[in-house]
This record gives sequence, structure tokens and C-alpha cells, in this order.
Amino acid sequence: MANAEPFDVAQLTPRSTLSSQRWSAFMTIVLMICSLISVLTTLGIIVMLVYEAAGFFANEQIQLSRFFTDTKWSVGQTQGEIHYGILPLLSGTLRITAIAMLIALPLGVITAVFLSEFASPRVRSILKPALEVLAGVPTVVLGYFAMVFLTPYLLQPLGDFKTFNAASAGIAVGILCLPLVTSLAEDALRAVPRSLREGSLGLGATRFETTVKVVLPAAISGIVAAFLLALARAIGETMVVALAAGSTPTWTLDPRLQSQTMAGYIVNTFQSESVVPGSLSYYSIYSVAAVLFCLTFGITVLGQYVRRRFREEYN
Amino acid sequence: MAVSNTLNRTRSNGSRRTVDRGFQVVCLLVASLALVILVTLVTAILFRGGNWLSLGFLLNGHRENAPEQSGVGQAIIGSIVVCLLCGTAALPIGIGTAVFLEEYQPLSRAGRWLHGFIQLNVSNLAGVPSIVYGILGVTAFVYMFGLFGQIQANKPPPMEFGATYFYQTKTLGKKWVQFRATDPTQQVFEIVAPLQATNESRQAIELNVIDRSATPPSDPELRDRTVYSGATASILSTKRPWYFHLPFSKSVLSAGLTLALVILPIVIIASQEAIRAVPPSLREAAYGLGANKWQVVSTTVLPSALPGIMTGAILAMSRAIGEAAPLLAVMGGVISTTTSLGNLMDKSPVLPVTIYRWAQDENPAFENLAAAAIIVLLVFLLLMNSVAIFVRNRAERKHA
Repeated sequence: MANAEPFDVAQLTPRSTLSSQRWSAFMTIVLMICSLISVLTTLGIIVMLVYEAAGFFANEQIQLSRFFTDTKWSVGQTQGEIHYGILPLLSGTLRITAIAMLIALPLGVITAVFLSEFASPRVRSILKPALEVLAGVPTVVLGYFAMVFLTPYLLQPLGDFKTFNAASAGIAVGILCLPLVTSLAEDALRAVPRSLREGSLGLGATRFETTVKVVLPAAISGIVAAFLLALARAIGETMVVALAAGSTPTWTLDPRLQSQTMAGYIVNTFQSESVVPGSLSYYSIYSVAAVLFCLTFGITVLGQYVRRRFREEYN
Repeated sequence: MAVSNTLNRTRSNGSRRTVDRGFQVVCLLVASLALVILVTLVTAILFRGGNWLSLGFLLNGHRENAPEQSGVGQAIIGSIVVCLLCGTAALPIGIGTAVFLEEYQPLSRAGRWLHGFIQLNVSNLAGVPSIVYGILGVTAFVYMFGLFGQIQANKPPPMEFGATYFYQTKTLGKKWVQFRATDPTQQVFEIVAPLQATNESRQAIELNVIDRSATPPSDPELRDRTVYSGATASILSTKRPWYFHLPFSKSVLSAGLTLALVILPIVIIASQEAIRAVPPSLREAAYGLGANKWQVVSTTVLPSALPGIMTGAILAMSRAIGEAAPLLAVMGGVISTTTSLGNLMDKSPVLPVTIYRWAQDENPAFENLAAAAIIVLLVFLLLMNSVAIFVRNRAERKHA
């Protein structure tokens, strides 16, 4: 790919004066400041979460130990004893994430295998754009889809699913993660050197055997990275769960029940407009967000690490 | 794979071949599931919302309890404004960061470490859930860490620009007069002494004050500018289009800046890829002609990376226009406003939040309306993606 435009020499030479040197140095500093904004964003998130979550635990009603052990969450309520155990919200998140991963991981990896090993260019030219469009569907749309379609037409005929339930939200989050898993896993499969496949096929293995015994094991770190990045995405997903999973935190394993997640709690609390800075429910947002951020950030860092290591192996 | 299957076939027994065939069929079925899901989704939404689309729907605002008259007019304007603000903030910063990371590779050890750190930071920021950015937006833009105090109801914000406050009262002649407010924190002003004011036809007048026990003047001109002593005037304000205050509070500006943070990593990564695709020979030619760093970047690298950067930018913006969670946090679940968007400090409904609120509405008609709003949002996304594809194809043809 060469730039065909003619290059005007006169544009450059007369301006390479002292002032243009200064201008260049000035722009270096401007660009550096631009790039520091992303660092400031991370720093801002961490400082904010630490500071405001500390405000939550500074309240005399709140003990750190009960935050991690209590199995009830009722910070918003005005009467009675306040429960502030993160476990119901955390379990809600993990329940929905588990369902999502059960869908996105196998389907995503198999789709990736199909795209990289078997698909003809023609089929590929239909499937790839479809996956790209699916990846671009706003999450609020998938939440709506889960609420008005998946729950009444797919799940409720199967069993006693509540109007808002963990299963439909989980499936929708799985759909959301499917394109991500597919594209990352396909990258990993394509990075496997062709010679490995040829060697295996040459020894008489079928394509199935080659894929399962040679290509997939060789790409395993990339697939693990895809899994981790999709996991982080699913844990932080907000709009789908806010619409389809309900607003009651539950401490259960039943996917048919309501299941408020951490992200769902945050958005429901903000939406109620009754949040004033300094109130307990305002601070509780930050304590939940701190747990959510630690979880997703940790998994993302791990995923990026695995992905980088894998890149080095095959370059 | 190019390797012939003949060898396979001769060596494999029947069952191995069946498994192989079966596997390929399963792969095809699973892969086509994505297409099935997409078609189901679009069909379900068209089926639900198609009948509700009309010109009125595109122009009206939300009306409580009147789904037939509700629409997404305000939400479309709100979404466009928020998206433009987001792009204005995110694109220069994102492209600047990408240029710095790609073109300004430092030689010193500390510099290299800084580079690596920023790069790592960008890729990790891409994995932060958007709701966390929403909370950051609330803290950093809506309340500004409490640095400028809090905005209280019925009080002007602590620091503001572009607003004029005045008191308004009715005279004995039933005419409105207005005069400047010296202390805008005071909601009600008690008139005890004559003062300078303007009347309904915007002429400067001297406000006449008479005692409550006195008889009103009979001259209509005088009566129109006379009030009883102790009459109260209530505060009003006009806001210029550039009206602006600190902290930003729940406003479209806060929303735009928050979304800018959400898409910043996407813009950076896309721009980096575009810049990396510029052939090194172009840079070397420019350096060889005596250009300095910034001249190389501005005259050579950026122009030839521009189509790629634009494509990435448009895709990032289409992510921004569909984001609901950070906007719910920053602007609250606002679904309609009484006045139209006049300045950046106003709240406004946006498409994704409108969809969310309608989907949750107890009135089932609004649930269908949400589907209609989704169609509008998807049309927007389709338009933006078509522009991105157009830009990419044109650039490819030019370079081919």
C-alpha cells in the first residue's frame, strides 16, 4: 500500500526554521499531555473508588467483615436493620456470567474453528459481517430482546421462569460476548503455523483430529485470553441485566429467579434519582463499584498478559 | 487447507470419517447460529415496533400516559449533541495519544518504560465496564470531587458564566416589569424603594413605590410603573447558549465527556493501527527532506493514516451512541424535558436511556414504543457504519 499522492517538497524545507523546531517541541509536549489523560483516567478511577468506598466503611453502621460475609443486601431500604453483604450481588453477577460463558465460550470457539479451518470465502463473507453487526448491537437492545423475547418465548415454555430471571439475562450476555470470543479465538487459530496442520494431515489425521489434537492445543493460550476478556466483559455488563435480570438481589443458584448483579445495582440506584452525595446508598455504589472494578480489571490484566505471551510464541 | 484429503481417506476407517463429517456439519450449524440470532433479533424488534413508526414519533417528545403521542424527537437531538461533544473531546486526545505512542518512541530507558506503561494502561482501560466510567463521570464532572461546592435546588451554582438574573413583578397597572438582580441567591426580592427597571416593551423606566395605604395613581402611565411598598418580585434568569457553570452537574456536557472517556481507548487503539499501517518509507522520505518530527507527523503520517483513523473514529462513535449505562449514571433516567436543549448545562433525554425507560414502563404500549425507538437507534448505527465502510473503501481505491 503506497501513498500515490505526490509529495510537495516545498511544503517542508522553507519551514524547517528555528520557529518550526520550537513548534515541534511544543507539539511533543501537547501529545504527551494527551497520552497522560488515559493514565489520569485510570488514576482517577482508582483514587475515586478507594476514597469513596472508604467513606462507606467509615460509617459506623458498616463493618468490613460483614460486607464480605452477610448474605443479604438491603442498603436502599429506610426501615429495619440494614444489610450490606456483597455476596448476593456478587453471586448474581457470577450466576449470569456463568450462563453467559456456557453459551459464548463453546459457540464462540466452534464458530472460530469453522471460520478459520472450514469456511469457504463465500460463507465467510456472510458470517463475518453478521458477527460484526452482532458485536455492534447496543447492549440496551439485547436487554430488551432478552426481556420481551427470550423470557416469554424461549424460557417460560420450558419451566417456571419469573418475568425477570437470571437465565434470559445470561443468554443475552452470552450473545453479547459471542462475537468477542469468536474474533479473538479466530485470531489465535489463524496464528497457528500452517506447517502444524499440514504435518498432522500428512500423517493421516482427519481434519477433525487435526483441529482437536493439533490446532486447538496450539492456540490454547489465545483461547484462554479470549475467555478471560469475554469474562471481564460479561461481569461488567450493565444494561442487559438492568432490563432482564430484575432488581432484587438473591442468594441462590436458581437461574429462574430474579438476580440483581453488581452493575445492575449501581445503575438501578443511580436511576432512582434519590441518591445524594454523602448518603449511605451513594457510598454503597462506590463500594460495589470497587469490587466490580477489581474483578474486571484483574481479569483484563490477566487476559492481556496471556494474550501477549501467546503472541510472542508464534512471531 | 490445501493438503489433499486422499491420503486421509485411504488410511481412515469409516467411523473416523463419519466423526469428521459430523464435526464439520456441527461447526457449520453452530457458526450459522450467529446469523440466526441476528435475524431473530431484528425480526422481533421490527415486528414489535414497526407499526409505531411515524413522522410524529420522530418529532414528538415523551408524554406520560400518552404513548400514541410520544416520540423520540428530543432524544434524537440529545443523542446527537452528546455524541458530538463526545467526539470533540475524544478524537483529538485519542489521536494525539496514538501519535505519541507510535511516532515518538523514546530512546531513554525511563521514556520507554513510560511508553510501555501508557500502552498497557490503554489496553486495560478498554476492559473497564462502562458503568465504572459512569461513576467516574458522576464524581469528576457532575460533582467535580466537591471542589466547587454542591449545586443546591433553587440556588444558582457557585461558579457560573453567561447567565443574567433579574426579578420580575406585576405593577398596579397589571404590567410586568423586570430589574436586575444584584444577589441571585435571593429567591424573592422585597421592593421598598424606587429603582431602575424595564417594562414589557423593554424601555427603561423608574419604578415608583407608594405606601400600601395610599391611593393608586390615576394616570395610567404612572400606574403601569407603580408598585406598593413591600411588593415582592420573584427571580428569573436568562441563559446564553454558552452558559456554563462549575461543577457541570447533570448535563449533556458531563454526559459527552463521560462517553469520551468510554471510547477513548477504542479511538487510541484504532488510530494506532491506522498509523502503524503507514509505510515507513514515507516517513523516511520526509525526514530525508529535512522535516522535523512534527512536520513528518502532520504532513506525512496523519494525512495518509486519516482514512483508517476516521473509520475507527466513526465505529467508536457508534459505540458511544448506543451506550446507556454511563448516561443513566451521569444524567439520571431523564426521559423528557420541558424546555428544549438551550445550552450545554441542560439535561436531555437520549435514545438508549429512552429505550431503557420505555422498556421498563408499566404501560405495555411503551414497551412497543421502545422497539420503535430501537429501530431509530439501529438506523443511526447503520448510517454511521455505512459512512465508515464508504471511507474505508474510498481510501482503499485511492491507494490501490
